[in-house]
Amino acid sequence: MQKEPTTLSFDALVIGGGIAGGEAALNLASNGYKVIIIEKRLSLGGKMIMLSKVFPTLDCSACITTPKVSEISRHPNITIFTESDLTSVEKRGEHDFVAKVTRRPRYVVAEDCTACQLCEEACPVIVKDQFQYNLVGRKAAYIPFSIASPKVAAIDIENCTLCGACEKVCPPGCIDFTQEPRDYVITAKTAIVATGFKLYDPSNVPRYNYGEAKNVITSMQMERLLAPTRPFHTILRSSDGKVPDKIAYVLCAGSRDDSLGNPICSQICCMYSIKQAQLLMGALPMADITIYYIDIRAYGKGYEEFYEQAAGMGVRFVKGKIGRISEKENGNLTLRYEDLASGKLKEADHDLVVLSVGVKPNSEPAGLFTTHKLELDSLQFVKQSDPLLSPAKTTIEGVFVAGTATGPKDIPDSILSAGSASTEAICYLNQ
Amino acid sequence: MSRINPKFGKELKKYGATEFGSCYNCGTCTAVCSLSTGEDSFPRSMVRLSETGNEEEIAASLKPWLCYYCGECSTNCPQTANPGELMMSLRRWLMAKYDWTGLSGYLYKSLTATIIAMVLVAIGVVVFAAYEKFDMEVIMHSGHMFEMLAIAGVFAVILIPNIARMWYFTIIKPGKNVSFMKYIKSLGEFLIHMFTQKRALGCDDNQKRWFEHFILVIGYLTLLFTTVFLDWFGSESIFVIVLGYVVSAVIFVVTFDFVLGRVKKNKEVSKHSQPSDWFFVIWLLLMGVTAFAVRLFIDLDILENNKWLYLFHLAVLAQWALIIVPFGKWTHFLYRSFAMYFAKLTVV
Ligand SMILES: Cc1cc2nc3c(=O)[nH]c(=O)nc-3n(C[C@H](O)[C@H](O)[C@H](O)COP(=O)(O)OP(=O)(O)OC[C@H]3O[C@@H](n4cnc5c(N)ncnc54)[C@H](O)[C@@H]3O)c2cc1C
Ligand code: SF4
Ligand code: SF4
Ligand code: SF4
Ligand code: SF4
Repeated sequence: MQKEPTTLSFDALVIGGGIAGGEAALNLASNGYKVIIIEKRLSLGGKMIMLSKVFPTLDCSACITTPKVSEISRHPNITIFTESDLTSVEKRGEHDFVAKVTRRPRYVVAEDCTACQLCEEACPVIVKDQFQYNLVGRKAAYIPFSIASPKVAAIDIENCTLCGACEKVCPPGCIDFTQEPRDYVITAKTAIVATGFKLYDPSNVPRYNYGEAKNVITSMQMERLLAPTRPFHTILRSSDGKVPDKIAYVLCAGSRDDSLGNPICSQICCMYSIKQAQLLMGALPMADITIYYIDIRAYGKGYEEFYEQAAGMGVRFVKGKIGRISEKENGNLTLRYEDLASGKLKEADHDLVVLSVGVKPNSEPAGLFTTHKLELDSLQFVKQSDPLLSPAKTTIEGVFVAGTATGPKDIPDSILSAGSASTEAICYLNQ
Repeated sequence: MSRINPKFGKELKKYGATEFGSCYNCGTCTAVCSLSTGEDSFPRSMVRLSETGNEEEIAASLKPWLCYYCGECSTNCPQTANPGELMMSLRRWLMAKYDWTGLSGYLYKSLTATIIAMVLVAIGVVVFAAYEKFDMEVIMHSGHMFEMLAIAGVFAVILIPNIARMWYFTIIKPGKNVSFMKYIKSLGEFLIHMFTQKRALGCDDNQKRWFEHFILVIGYLTLLFTTVFLDWFGSESIFVIVLGYVVSAVIFVVTFDFVLGRVKKNKEVSKHSQPSDWFFVIWLLLMGVTAFAVRLFIDLDILENNKWLYLFHLAVLAQWALIIVPFGKWTHFLYRSFAMYFAKLTVV
């Protein structure tokens, strides 16, 4: 049993190890500052590391995220705590922050694990794989996903039956069921909030039938189906293994909708849907892809051209929001909508429906700061105290914000805001 | 050529619709409406016409009458533009448009005018009674005559011309070609709708409301028939007397439930009650109650000493017949049945 928490000191504390937090940490570290990243999940990389390819360049997401993430994890000035809970941050004065952190046990000695996956093979327990957005199963002893960082196994103790099968097969003998949570007290001179966003949960909209109809999936699930490290190595309906050939996209699913309590545009879903449609045309050349939209929001550099490219490739764009999705006996789906071009109510059949779910705020960081108030805006995103001139400033001096913690952003904008947050942090450190 | 009238929105606000300006044309409302069809898609199209103030096309449209205000569209509208209430307001606006006297719109928009009209009618009844020296025999006889005359008069002078105007706006003016045979063949549809309002059944979760409506229509027509043609208050026939009691009790129970619904506002349809809606249900309730009481007093032989009751009943009846029926919400029922008929005419 650990009695006293371990005390560690850094220049900067970065909360959240997604692409924004990672980039901010890297900038600070490259300027000679010592940084600690606190990530609550098992791997760095946030949502981006799970993506297939990225708009508007169609670069392979894994191929650009992995080098970045390994640069972060190899950097001598960066310390990474994954699977860790930040419980509080106190500001005792300028340049004087104290954070309490608990590292949850993985039940695997990270330094010794070779990621041989023998434990995975041996483990008899199968549960839904949260990293594949429940498309497939995983074991209770598992490596989160193939490009996870750190690539180290973990035991899902809640589902583990303590049968000991993994322990027996592990070559370096690094599985250790006696591990316990470890507490740390971390001092830092500045902090960056990069806690990212949450995905809209479409089961809040019964009309979409998500969770009931087998072949209604979310865009994040489609990212996994399309990714190079994908679960099936092809595109298919996970319910029956059929290769879909009439795929529909429902845009603004849970965004721009007062009645669902999320009035704003999520900014990324038009573009990622257009991206996925193009990738699907490549993967399934015979498939019909239809995107049902209210407005196409292609606002960034090269985005309009990206949209036109998709239309040119034969993606059908239909103006009209989907009102209702009903499941047929064969698992196909009937979509009811008003075709705005003709003003007529129509129904269309599809064999796979993708809900382009939007961005919801992650309001967790507000609860972390105990001595000063980290304010949220009216939509529960982190409030920017000076959104025009110093967009990285929060309502606490010395605490900066990066990425989607302040509102919907795509990757280029998240990286830009991380640059801004790290620069502001450096200025603050030198004050 | 359609003309755009940017001020139309302001006018429509007076009929109850206030939020439709925030519509961003997504079509969710049309897609969730269980009465919308490929041929008659609404309510989004009507929101659009209202937004642009295209009065001519609105006047030519039968769609507002095809909506039974289940409220699904308003519940699911992403912009909380309340398209269901817009459809209701358009029905009120159309009612005013069809009415050649212009009184419908005036009374609708001005609560004061409505109250003054109601009071005047009540005073008229009392003055008449005083003129007849409160002779119950004479008053009741005149009351009975008045009912018949009022019904005939209102139909001949107000309602039939208004329906002709509705026909003109929706069929003739837009240049729809309908053969004589079609008018005859579609009559069946008209009668069915008139008596059953069966279309409302298409609304989800609407069975109870439809059934109540159905009972109300039948009950109301029977009460009218019993009082006017069977002379309930004067009748000696036990059958007529009992029938009158039963139908007035039924009207009472059903309208009471409607009033309760409007008070509780538990359904989308009853959330936005306007004065005209209140007048309608309350007067219906009063008619049922007072008719019941009058006959009861006759049977107990205490009406002579309680003349006020009959006068009260007569006032309610006169207000109903002279204000609510020709210019108020009652006409919805009539226009709706004709709308169904006209819609049928133009289906090929
Ligand atoms: C389906 C889909 C497809 C997309 N496709 C593209 C695309 O093609 N191109 C593009 O530019 N953008 C795309 N995006 C957008 C992109 O995913 C985001 O812009 C990007 O991931 C934002 O990064 P972030 O670091 O701000 O947030 P996140 O990726 O959400 O990272 C936040 C991190 O913080 C951690 N965290 C959260 N709370 C805490 C806490 N309390 N303590 C510790 N850690 C915490 C989380 O675990 C996570 O690791 C897509 C998004 C989706 C949903
Ligand atoms: S825990 Fe052991 S068996 Fe499992 S991947 Fe690591 S080294 Fe291999
Ligand atoms: S980005 Fe497109 S799909 Fe997403 S909320 Fe905005 S308009 Fe809707
Ligand atoms: S659902 Fe609302 S926003 Fe969408 S078209 Fe209908 S009224 Fe307009
Ligand atoms: S209130 Fe009901 S019937 Fe009327 S338009 Fe809306 S959804 Fe359709």
